[in-house]
Amino acid sequence: MKLDSKVPTGPIEDQWDKHRFELKLVNPANKRNYKVLVVGAGLAGASAAASLAELGYNVEAFCVQDSPRRAHSIAAQGGINAAKNYPNDGDSVRRLFYDTVKGGDFRARESNVYRLAQVSNAIIDQCVAQGVPFAREYGGLLDNRSFGGAQVSRTFYARGQTGQQLLLGAYSALMRQAGAGAVKIFPRREMLDLVVADGRARGIVCRNLVTGAVEKHRGDAVLLCTGGYGNVFNLSTNANSCNVTAAWRAHKRGAAFANPCFTQIHPTCIPVAGERQSKLTLMSESLRNDGRVWAPKKKGDVRKPQDIPEDERDYYLERKYPAFGNLVPRDIASRAAKQMTDDGRGALGGLAVFLDFEDAVKRLGKDKIAEKYGNLFDMYHHITDEDPYQAPMRIYPAVHYAMGGLWVDYNLMTTIPGLFCLGEANFSDHGANRLGASALMQGLADGYFVIPYTLGGYLAGAKLGKVTTDHDAFRAAEDSVAARTAKLLSTGGKRTPQDFHRRLGKIMWEHAGMGRNAKGLQEAIAEIPRIREEFWKTVAVTGSGESFNQTLERAGRVADFLEFGELLAKDALAREESCGGHFREEHQTEDGEAKRDDVNFSHVAVWEHKGEGREPARHTEPLTFENVHIAQRNYA
Amino acid sequence: MEAAKTCCCKRSCRFLEFLESSIGKKIMLALAGFLLCGFLIAHLAGNLFMFAGADAFNHYAEALEANPLIPLAEGGLVALFLLHIALAIRAKFANQAARPVDYEVYRGKGARTPGSRTMAMTGALILAFIIIHVATLKFEVGGLKGPDLYAHVTGWLKNPLYAGFYILAVAGVGLHLSHGVQSALQTFGAGHPRYTPMLKKLGLLFAVSIAAGFASLPIYFGWFAPNTTACCAAEEGAQ
Amino acid sequence: MNLTLKVWRQKDAKSPGGLVEYQVSGVSNDMSFLEMLDILNEELVVKGEDAICFDHDCREGICGMCALMIDGQAHGKDKAATSCQLHMRRYQDGDTITIEPFRAKAFPVVKDLVVDRSAFDRIQAAGGFVSVGTGGAVDANCLPVPKQNAEKALDAASCIGCGACVAACPNASAMLFVAAKVSQYALLPQGRPEREKRALAMRSAMDAEGFGHCSNEYECEAACPKDIKVSNIARLNREFLRASVLAE
Repeated sequence: MKLDSKVPTGPIEDQWDKHRFELKLVNPANKRNYKVLVVGAGLAGASAAASLAELGYNVEAFCVQDSPRRAHSIAAQGGINAAKNYPNDGDSVRRLFYDTVKGGDFRARESNVYRLAQVSNAIIDQCVAQGVPFAREYGGLLDNRSFGGAQVSRTFYARGQTGQQLLLGAYSALMRQAGAGAVKIFPRREMLDLVVADGRARGIVCRNLVTGAVEKHRGDAVLLCTGGYGNVFNLSTNANSCNVTAAWRAHKRGAAFANPCFTQIHPTCIPVAGERQSKLTLMSESLRNDGRVWAPKKKGDVRKPQDIPEDERDYYLERKYPAFGNLVPRDIASRAAKQMTDDGRGALGGLAVFLDFEDAVKRLGKDKIAEKYGNLFDMYHHITDEDPYQAPMRIYPAVHYAMGGLWVDYNLMTTIPGLFCLGEANFSDHGANRLGASALMQGLADGYFVIPYTLGGYLAGAKLGKVTTDHDAFRAAEDSVAARTAKLLSTGGKRTPQDFHRRLGKIMWEHAGMGRNAKGLQEAIAEIPRIREEFWKTVAVTGSGESFNQTLERAGRVADFLEFGELLAKDALAREESCGGHFREEHQTEDGEAKRDDVNFSHVAVWEHKGEGREPARHTEPLTFENVHIAQRNYA
Repeated sequence: MEAAKTCCCKRSCRFLEFLESSIGKKIMLALAGFLLCGFLIAHLAGNLFMFAGADAFNHYAEALEANPLIPLAEGGLVALFLLHIALAIRAKFANQAARPVDYEVYRGKGARTPGSRTMAMTGALILAFIIIHVATLKFEVGGLKGPDLYAHVTGWLKNPLYAGFYILAVAGVGLHLSHGVQSALQTFGAGHPRYTPMLKKLGLLFAVSIAAGFASLPIYFGWFAPNTTACCAAEEGAQ
Repeated sequence: MNLTLKVWRQKDAKSPGGLVEYQVSGVSNDMSFLEMLDILNEELVVKGEDAICFDHDCREGICGMCALMIDGQAHGKDKAATSCQLHMRRYQDGDTITIEPFRAKAFPVVKDLVVDRSAFDRIQAAGGFVSVGTGGAVDANCLPVPKQNAEKALDAASCIGCGACVAACPNASAMLFVAAKVSQYALLPQGRPEREKRALAMRSAMDAEGFGHCSNEYECEAACPKDIKVSNIARLNREFLRASVLAE
């Protein structure tokens, strides 16, 4: 497999400019003759679909929810980074770039990250122009707050609902184009296969979730903006419909998958409450701005937090990382929490640590805290029935974000020509760990400011033959989708898809979660195929294929997770180092910090599907660092 | 919007569009209601002359009837009532059509008030009352006829059934207004964070005052007023 | 705890529906309402029956997908919460719970408890945006917005488009939804240039979908999971009146 990152040459500051100039343009009158299929309507998908339609392309947008307004980007709470330097505290494009590469533990492609930092400011301008109500100072100008992994305040926010406001901004732009007839929206559709004809992505096959009809859609390019695969762990902060299916089916059609083992475990989530829990809820990282994380000093201390005196509390993040304190990056905060509970010092003796606002309330007053975090406190109260104004929150890490994803080049194109991948679904910008408030930035950068250029470059340069939905490739994809659905409906077994999902999730969390080791990963790699085999024999899917059938939807997604989980474990096993969110217990420093191996693993692991039942091939894209001094991360 | 393009006179079409829109209809309904409130105030003020005695009241009534503009005002009043009723009935049907399949269980979360729940009922009650009220007191239906208006009215009010219905109806007016006034303010777009809540409270006070003011007449003249000659005259008239 | 559920089952948009009774056992206090439905659904699947369809996604009260009428209350008995945020600790052993879809002519039932809320998308497409293309924006701080306006705009913009306002309204009116969007833009300088056009267009689209009239009973506000205030409806009325008079 040939991996050409197409990174431009020359000084990093000029690369994007140079590249944009070198990209061919599509004649304005010609744009409407190109049909672009955008799958997914989150920040990346909605912004891309709207921007491309504005340029004149003929866009069709697909989403699994009943409306594009509901994609899971909506749940992002904390904020979005940009190098505006409005607070005059020393920020710059270069610093945002540097922080992001360092935060990603030096496993991201420099040029992509630099471009991300460069366009970050334009995103804020764009969103403000759309009427996104960001938080403001009394003078009417935009407010910023600080976030994990950075020592400057560069995060723009709208209370604890930044993702919602940004998504609704992109959605409004999308609906404007829909109203103008430039975008056709297909809600309640699930992409079940990619159509590759004559070596290029030329369409998708999807299931109409309401009628069950298998639909074929032809396009000149396909954009996958389908989000992350965190739900491979079953319990995560992702929405229920988040899945790997679109990316996985594309992978099986030839798109390489990069760094699947890079998953982010978010440190501040509400702890698991029971066996039948269906999802975990994140408490924004922004809470660590004012909240102090602690655990009891004594092992097995089950006292209520109010009853534990100050000198028996261990504010372990402040103790271990005095420079960043409670604002260390997510991977570090998560691991530190795990160390506490592994050490028997969990909150109330359970799997949790405390996040305490007592000092902040004393310092700023309850009103100020309510203004900043009111909705988060309410959310916590709702779920746990505990009032965080009265007692500290109990928090624990949970799977939250996928840094890995489909491999893309500098143009965001996968290894299949004409198939692009944007947002969380690609691997490009966050390396082994994503900094807080950078996901929104990346999704919108890809959709608003990268793809409108790079897609044109592809279309203008590609000689696309005429392909209709009668093409053999469409027929083959349609048949395989229909056969798979029929198979799922016909096992006659007695175990629900959720049951399999829980079993998979347990294995993934145990062996490929916060701490990983060779033995555990090998166990997972041995066990997952067994579950998969059992799944295809005994999964129970009731109802019919020709109607609304949520059991069938779930089963299809679990089936793909059962394949993908194995790849994730294999990737984790192959990466014999610790970096960012990937923590191999064999590779740690004396203080229990991640120990990278830059000599052997300073590369992107790129997996190629070799066919059913065959071992996937692991390729590498070497990473070179010319603009950032590579060093052991130090937040102390 | 389409209409505006094809129409020769854009401005009048905009007005028609306004009248046909859900919000426009509500604004007209509220406007008619608001004007009717003005009538209620004037009417109550006139009625209260009854407490000043027969001469004062009769004098007031004669002066009023002598005004040449009265038939015009009466016509306007009838038009307002008809507009208010017609718009309310249209809205009611449109609202029913907006939910063709009803809930098996509908409970709400406690925002509705007794006034808002009963708007249609109190409206119908008020209409019935107005018909009887005008028929008996203006057109002298019902077999009672006093020598003067004061006697005529007090004669009717002596009838406990009549007085009781009167009280019930003005209670209905109060209930109708308890929702109607604040609703009209909301429909007109009153939205000042400080003044609007105050205005809405005043609206409630207004509703209670109107109901109490009107109810004071049947209560007093029905049960507490001393017997006067007017009463006997009325009875004679009835014979 | 053990519960009796009466759930609206309807095969598809065209078929008639009705309430079907189910027993659920082994429900714990910490479960969410939707997790309780998950348990029932898994039992149904194991028994070979078709699971109850209901919309849900983020399960943390922000996506607006879940939409259940629980015992006659949109999103159930809690204030300012979505169906997914309702927890079973609010119920007691032996309770009977009736679950219906949101009902409105403009929200036709798709299956069981799932309704089609695309009417909201069409209203949004009619004018719920600022006409600014990607790339043409000025520096973000060139447009100062008074803090109180920004806060009010955000209050309105918090709408998750779940449709509870329509479901709870005795008239199935969508005024709170439309008002929230119109208000957000009316309060911000970015929305000003298209102010009249937006108010007229969104009102027109709303009526075309067949929603009922607002009779100012405020059940929408009481049911709104995001606590959106009816003062926004007053603002919409004002904006519409203003636009009707001023628009060319």
